[in-house]
Amino acid sequence: MYEERYKLHPISAFINFVKGLKELILPFIIIFGVNIFRDGGVSSMFNQGWQGLIPIIIGSVVLVFLLVGGIIKWKRFVYWFEDGELRIEYGLFVKKKRYIPFDRIQSLNYTEGIFHRPLGLVKVKVETAGSGKVGQAEAELTAISREDADRIENEMEKAKRQLPEETAAEMGPHEQVEPLPKKEAKVLYRMSMKELLILATTSGGIGVVISAVAIFLSQFSELIPYDAIYEEVMLFLRFGALIVALTIFFVLLVAWVISVIMTIFANYQFTIQRDEDHIYITRGLLEKKKVSVPLKRVQGIKVSQNPLRELFGYATVMVESAGGSIGDKDEKIRLFPLVKTERMIPILAELFPELEWTPELVKAPKRSVHFFYRLDLLWFSPVFAALGYFFYPYGLLALIIVPIVVVIGIWQHRTVGYALADKQLTMQFRGISKHRFFMLKKRVQVVQVTQSYFQRRKELASINSTIKSGMMGATASTPHMEKADASRILAWFEPSGNKELKH
Amino acid sequence: MDNQPKNQISRKGLTVWRVYGSMETAVLALLAVGAGVLTYFFEWPQWLYALYGGVILLFGFLFIYLFPKIRWQRWRYEVREQEIELQHGLFVVTRTLVPMVRVQHVDTEQGPILRKYDLAEISISTAATTHTIPALITAEADELRARISVLARVAEDDV
Repeated sequence: MYEERYKLHPISAFINFVKGLKELILPFIIIFGVNIFRDGGVSSMFNQGWQGLIPIIIGSVVLVFLLVGGIIKWKRFVYWFEDGELRIEYGLFVKKKRYIPFDRIQSLNYTEGIFHRPLGLVKVKVETAGSGKVGQAEAELTAISREDADRIENEMEKAKRQLPEETAAEMGPHEQVEPLPKKEAKVLYRMSMKELLILATTSGGIGVVISAVAIFLSQFSELIPYDAIYEEVMLFLRFGALIVALTIFFVLLVAWVISVIMTIFANYQFTIQRDEDHIYITRGLLEKKKVSVPLKRVQGIKVSQNPLRELFGYATVMVESAGGSIGDKDEKIRLFPLVKTERMIPILAELFPELEWTPELVKAPKRSVHFFYRLDLLWFSPVFAALGYFFYPYGLLALIIVPIVVVIGIWQHRTVGYALADKQLTMQFRGISKHRFFMLKKRVQVVQVTQSYFQRRKELASINSTIKSGMMGATASTPHMEKADASRILAWFEPSGNKELKH
Repeated sequence: MDNQPKNQISRKGLTVWRVYGSMETAVLALLAVGAGVLTYFFEWPQWLYALYGGVILLFGFLFIYLFPKIRWQRWRYEVREQEIELQHGLFVVTRTLVPMVRVQHVDTEQGPILRKYDLAEISISTAATTHTIPALITAEADELRARISVLARVAEDDV
């Protein structure tokens, strides 16, 4: 039986071309950049006869090659549906075939770039649970129309429904599979402009931008004529420290504004929807991204608050989900980039009704408080000794760290806690930011209890529990809890319940 | 802690750790000899010889005698029908509970030294973590691997 072959939208030839161009932009700049700095600038290239034109000739050959390559790639790429599989055939020189069974497909992620949007197209990334090998059984459809994307989704649904029926069909007459009713996706949350602004202004993105600028500048440090600058700087310094400070402030401000704008672009119109078995997250201004998370793949929820956001009652919520592709930075899916804690609870409760969202936490006992800073101080003490000895008396200023470490330790001690319900474990802890992990018992992979010699003397123990996250695990750990609490969690986690009987 | 897991690892495991410890001490001793030669030629102070000797003795005592002994006494495991329980650690004792449902696969592995002593180590992998029992008699390890894989297969998959 011959199944209909589908092609990508022709624009994908152009997108392939642009993508190839992007990778070549650096060599191009070097080739032409070098020539510009030669005597006579660019114009000299045309004065030297054909030899001067070599870079241009090479450049245009490469361009033509890229363009043709892009077109051929598009021409060669076909996909179709057969035997409950998504089948793809592609390849520029070597023809490759990739068959992906529908029931292996974990999610279809849509992205709309600037080229896609005017034409109503999407880029579809097919994600499977992943066998651990990078790039295997994962496909990307560069540009297809919305209807085509919906068709893939429908075929997928059909195949998944058919599977159990097929086994039944072996015994009885085959039933016609009726077209599925389109599932309604309900909008649960739309990020308000205010939240978006707060997110942008309080995110750590500023550090990234500053370091990027620093790296960028350091690249050019050799080109800068320092002698000339030095004189100007001396002149500049005469204007006084005020101007220097103002300049630094201005640079920081610009960096901050850039980071704010970037964050706004990335998270514009952040929306959460859900239907029966998926959560959909849509976001982005220039490039619209849609991520779908199958609910049954969700392993746990992590709510994080850095001190600043904690002060104003805002939090970030991450979904720890199994599978996904390696090296994908969306591996940890941000369910809420930023949300008021009161507002998030009802939405979370609707998304995950089986979880308890405001459990009463059991805190660490008072006597464990010094465990949170004692060891750190011990590690620091040789540094203090060395600094105090070699840089006396100023080295002693390092001792300022001591109260800071102690205060952070006390803070961590206050935060740490756990809550145990019949089917759920909640753990809260703090590095500097506060994290709260919500885990279902059936999702916890391993529970570990550790006890050092000193903890044993004080009847304390640390508790770690690991869930699967992406290809790896994510561990929640509450250090220095009551030993009895650790035993309780172990007993709760033990499937056979031996320990519970003994208690 | 309360009731430790039942089984200990093989007594020969202790011997293997002592062999490892001896090898590390030998490497350190070589370094010390090198330092001693330097001390001789550059006429550094005499007490350095005593320091080198002391370091080697202490290292040997800790890594050949004391640490393997504590580690071996600590190491316990128990494979029950529905879960695996491990206990290990030198300064910090770690107690691990892996439900059988979570076990994805089991491997046994044998390096040259382990093979000489007819030992093997067994690694239990979940979707997120891997846990290793370091020294079991080969036959025992094979039997355990087979048993865990049978027990793990019974359980339904939830990721």
